[in-house]
Amino acid sequence: MQNADEKLEQWTQFYRRAQRILQAGPRGLRKLTGAELTRLIDDYQALTADLARARSLGAARETVDQLNRIAVAGHNLIYGQIRLREGGATSRGFASFAAVVRRHAWAVALAALMFFGSAVVSFVAVELNPSLGYDLLSDEFLDFDPASPDNLHHIPSLARPVVSSLIISNNIQVTLLAFGFGLTAGIGTSLLLIFNGIHLGSVAGWMSLHGKDRALWGWIMPHGATELLAICLAGAAGYILASAIIAPGQLRRATALKRVGGQALTIELGCMVMLVIAGLIEGFVSPSAVDYTSRIAVLLASVALWALYFFGAGRNRNERLADEPPSN
Amino acid sequence: MDESVFISTPDHVTLEFELAGPGSRFSAYIIDFVFSVVLIVVIVLALYASGALVTLRSLVGAARGSSWGASWIMALVVLIIFLINWGYYVLFEGLGKGSTPGKKRVGIRVIRQDGLPIGLREAALRNLVRAADMLPPPSYILGGLVMHFDPQGRRLGDMLAGTYVVVEKFDLAAQGASGAAWASRVEQGRSRQALTLPRGTISPQQIGLIERFLARRHELSEERRAQLVWQIAEPLLPMLGEDRDSLARRHDRTERCEWLLMQIIELAQAKAPNIAVAEKTTPPAALF
Repeated sequence: MQNADEKLEQWTQFYRRAQRILQAGPRGLRKLTGAELTRLIDDYQALTADLARARSLGAARETVDQLNRIAVAGHNLIYGQIRLREGGATSRGFASFAAVVRRHAWAVALAALMFFGSAVVSFVAVELNPSLGYDLLSDEFLDFDPASPDNLHHIPSLARPVVSSLIISNNIQVTLLAFGFGLTAGIGTSLLLIFNGIHLGSVAGWMSLHGKDRALWGWIMPHGATELLAICLAGAAGYILASAIIAPGQLRRATALKRVGGQALTIELGCMVMLVIAGLIEGFVSPSAVDYTSRIAVLLASVALWALYFFGAGRNRNERLADEPPSN
Repeated sequence: MDESVFISTPDHVTLEFELAGPGSRFSAYIIDFVFSVVLIVVIVLALYASGALVTLRSLVGAARGSSWGASWIMALVVLIIFLINWGYYVLFEGLGKGSTPGKKRVGIRVIRQDGLPIGLREAALRNLVRAADMLPPPSYILGGLVMHFDPQGRRLGDMLAGTYVVVEKFDLAAQGASGAAWASRVEQGRSRQALTLPRGTISPQQIGLIERFLARRHELSEERRAQLVWQIAEPLLPMLGEDRDSLARRHDRTERCEWLLMQIIELAQAKAPNIAVAEKTTPPAALF
C-alpha cells in the first residue's frame, strides 16, 4: 500500500502529464506509445476510484475537490479526443447549409411571409394612400434624387471599400439579431422582419409613385436576391430556435434548444457568407455605371446559383437521412 | 440556483463542477467589456497611424491615387470594430477553452454539458445570441431572469449551446500538502473518525460539515456566515464546556464560534491518523 506522500506524488505527476499532453493539442494522445497510453489510463482509473472512495467515505472537502479537479483534467484528456458528430447533421461542409435550409423549409417560408408579406402590404398601402409615405419614410428617401434613370446611387470608386464594409457589417448585425431574437419565442425575429419589410415596401411604393422605380430596381437587382434571401434565412434560423421554445415536444425546453442550436447556427453562418458576397456586390457593382441589362443578368445569375445550391447541394447522398430522428 | 453541477462520465465517474454565480459572471463581463474597448481603440489607432503614413506617402508623390490605401484601411477599421464587437467572446472562448481575459481574471470558465472544454461551435452559439439575453439592451434583464430560475444558472445562450459556466479554482501547489494526510486515510479505507470528547462525541458527518463551512466562510455574506456558524456550533456547545446563553449574548459570538470550530478540526486532524478505535460511532441523539 502506498503512503500518503507517494499517493500525492502520483496524482500530481498525473496532473502534470495530463496538462502537458492537453497543451500539445488535440493530437497529443497519438504521440504516446502503447505502454504510455496504458499507464495513463490505468492511472486515470486508479484516480477516479480514489475520488469515488474519497466521496463516499466522506474525506475532507479539499481532498475531494483536489481529486475531482485532477480527474477533470484526466477526463478532458481521454474523452476530449472523441468529438461526437452533432445529432441530426446530415451533411458536412459545403452542402450542410443547403441541407439544413431544406430541412427547415417551413421556417424559411414563415420568415419570407413575414418579410415579403409586410413589404407587399406596405407597398400597396403607400400606392393607395401616398400620404402614408410621410409617416413611414425619412426625409432622405422622400425627396431622393436618383443618380441616373437606371440607378439610385453612384458612389465614387474611392469610397466603395468603406461603403461595402459598412453594408456588410450592418447587414450581418441585422441577421445576428434576427437569429438571436428567436430566443424570445420568435417575437423579436418577427418584429425585425416586419419592420425591415415595411421599410423596403414603403420605399418601393414611394419610388414607384414618383416614377423612380426603374432606378430603384436597377440599384437593388445586382445584390438584392442574395441579400434579401439571406435576411429571410436568418429569420428562419430565429424561428427554428423559437420552435424549440414554443413546441419542445416531450423534451425540456433547454434540451430542445440544444438539439436545434447547431442547425440554426449553420444557417446563420451561411447567411454571413451570403451577406459578404451581397455586400461586395452592393458596394462595388450596384453603385457603378454598369448598364441595366447587365444588372438584370447579375440578378438572374444569382437567383439561378442560389436555387441550384439550395435545391441541389448534397441532396443525392444525404437527403434520405434527414427524416431519421437525431441520434443524441 | 444550485451550488454545483454533477456530470456523470461514461465510465461512471461523477465529476463535480462548482457553478459560477451571477456576481462573478458580471464582474468578468465588465472586465471583458473594458478590455474589448481598449482593444478596439488600440487597433484603430494603430491602423490610423499606418493609414496616415499611406496618405503621407501619396502627398510626397510616390504614386497618384494611392489614397486607395487609406480607403481600404478605413474599410478594415469598420470590419475590425465589427469583428471585435461580435467576435470577441466567440474567439476567446472558442480558442481559449472557454475562458476570456475577464473570465480568467475572475476564475471562471465555460464547459460543455459533458464536462469537456467548449470549442468554437459552442462559443459561437452562446455568444452570437447575446442580444437576446441582453434584452432590453444593455440591461441583461431577460438573461438574468432566466439564470435566476434555472437550477444550473444558465442564460439563454448557455441553454442553446449546452454549456455551464463553472468556477475554476485550483492551485495544485498551494493545496498539495494538506491533501496528503487525508489521502492516506482514504487509501486505507477509513476516512475521518468520530471525535470523542469527554462530554460527548462529534460524528464524522458533523466534522465534514464544519470543514466545509470553514473552507467557504469567506465566500458567504456576513449575515449568512453568522447564521450558519451559530446553527453548526450551537448543538456542540455543551460538549465544549461553553454556556449557550451567555455566548448567545456576546457581541463576538461569531468569531468565538468559528474559533471553537477550528479547535474541533485541529483536534480531529491531530487525532485521526493515530486513532485505532472503531470509526462508526453513532452520534448522540441530541445532535442534529
